Amino acid sequence: MASTSRGDSLPKVQCPNHPDAILVEDYRAGDMICPECGLVVGDRVIDVGSEWRTFTNEKETKDPSRVGDAQNPLLNGGDLTTMISKGTGAASFDEFGNSKYQNRRTMSSSDRAMLNAFKEISTMADRINLPRNIIDQTNNLFKQVYEQKSLKGRSNDAIASACLYIACRQEGVPRTFKEICAVSRISKKEIGRCFKLILKALETSVDLITTSDFMSRFCSNLGLPKQVQMAATYIARKAVELDLVPGRSPISVAAAAIYMASQASAEKKTQKEIGDITGVADVTIRQSYRLIYPRAVNLFPPDFKFDTPVDKLPQL
Amino acid sequence: MEQNNSLPPFPQGLASPQGAMTPGLPIFSPMMPYGTGLTPQPVQNTNSLSLLEEQQRHGMVGGSGQTPQLYHSQVSTTTALPGNTPLYTTPLTPMTPITPATPASESSGIVPQLQNIVSTVNLGCKLDLKTIALRARNAEYNPKRFAAVIMRIREPRTTALIFSSGKMVCTGAKSEEQSRLAARKYARVVQKLGFPAKFLDFKIQNMVGSCDVKFPIRLEGLVLTHQQFSSYEPELFPGLIYRMIKPRIVLLIFVSGKVVLTGAKVRGEIYEAFENIYPILKGFRKTT
Repeated sequence: MASTSRGDSLPKVQCPNHPDAILVEDYRAGDMICPECGLVVGDRVIDVGSEWRTFTNEKETKDPSRVGDAQNPLLNGGDLTTMISKGTGAASFDEFGNSKYQNRRTMSSSDRAMLNAFKEISTMADRINLPRNIIDQTNNLFKQVYEQKSLKGRSNDAIASACLYIACRQEGVPRTFKEICAVSRISKKEIGRCFKLILKALETSVDLITTSDFMSRFCSNLGLPKQVQMAATYIARKAVELDLVPGRSPISVAAAAIYMASQASAEKKTQKEIGDITGVADVTIRQSYRLIYPRAVNLFPPDFKFDTPVDKLPQL
Repeated sequence: MEQNNSLPPFPQGLASPQGAMTPGLPIFSPMMPYGTGLTPQPVQNTNSLSLLEEQQRHGMVGGSGQTPQLYHSQVSTTTALPGNTPLYTTPLTPMTPITPATPASESSGIVPQLQNIVSTVNLGCKLDLKTIALRARNAEYNPKRFAAVIMRIREPRTTALIFSSGKMVCTGAKSEEQSRLAARKYARVVQKLGFPAKFLDFKIQNMVGSCDVKFPIRLEGLVLTHQQFSSYEPELFPGLIYRMIKPRIVLLIFVSGKVVLTGAKVRGEIYEAFENIYPILKGFRKTT
């Protein structure tokens, strides 16, 4: 039970009668109990939680934890090393005041780059408030790419950014390249290159982006009410269905749809504001808007309440 | 009878459309773009391979799928030589090779036009780029930016990069002959400047062609079905990048129906690739 298999999941114990049941942990006795039949599946389970709750403002008191950081078996090479910490008594310092025993480096030299990358991924994801599951997925992807070594020459940050992009796509909540660029120091071009290389290396593919993937995020960033968001989603979908915008990036179409919907409602947003949020250029929104404007009547949802009627929509 | 002409030799992963035969050169196009003496089908039978073909056709019924492939590859090699005047020999078999393809898929009738040819040649002697840049006309040399002389000639309109090792890259020609002619002109320019220039290992490295299928294409559908070969990222590039395995050509397919083919070493690969992709594109035609 304690040995970690090569798979990327924690060791699983299951109730023999109910393999699908999620086991309940009884920490007092250290048991894993099946909720369906009450069978005690794993007993005397070692508690892998943290020993003490540490608060960040307590800098003065030494860390009483004797077990170190939480284990990350998925992603490291099974780091079970022992470190010797700095001495405290007088005997551990030589005459100049330097500590005698200095061995706190080379913890895990092979995974140093990977740990660094995980830290970078965590920082990037934190900037755009991505949930834990996407971060985990990104870490997994990075680990796979790193172990494969086919992209070894590329900057780790670029690979990390591309992994983040792929993870968001795979989880069904794609972020635009420009959004990833905003939280990363790597250029869009390089992220795009790494993205294609990673897809090839891992032999996976991702779904095509649609206009509706971005609507909720863009509209809430602009502060638009739900009605406008739903109208914009409908407009964009209809525009693509009627093939009014062939060859246009879905982001540009989404931006133009948001512009049309907001201009028809009470919450009017300028092209510049929408351009800032979506990352689409002013002129591109104008171009896409010009393409959907002639059929504006057909594009609005039937139950939409117009603050500005369709014929008074701005015509650029 | 249809089944006979389906594609057993093509494994699943290849770019050929399922069930349809990939024809060779556009059989029914009235004119070939080059080599006026080149008549379509019977030409290829002059080679020794034709006897093998005929034998196969006689002998094997189920293996007739093999024949078109040989045929196919034959097409790509022989058509690269416009200078040869081919002999017209009629095969004596009852089955003529004129229509190896199933009648269901005819040729597209569209011939990709070559837009750019990149070739390299070795002039065989070390060059002093400074003297070349100073004495030759239409030459620029900026060693801080790039370590070669960039020379241009007007006829054929091409650009050459001439390196100090004596190697030269010639780009911009519209046909193989023009590329060779242009490379020779550059070599003569260098020769006239006093260097003992030769003309060794002329090789065409890349050929780019383009054409128009004249109907809009549903790229989203194409990327769904041909996932292993296609890459379509509207955020990165508006066209779909299709990497065909056989022949090894990269095609840029756009919504408007324009197709750019690149990565070919011989002209026939471009034609072959286009004939492979045309039925697939027809299947993803936009209906509105």
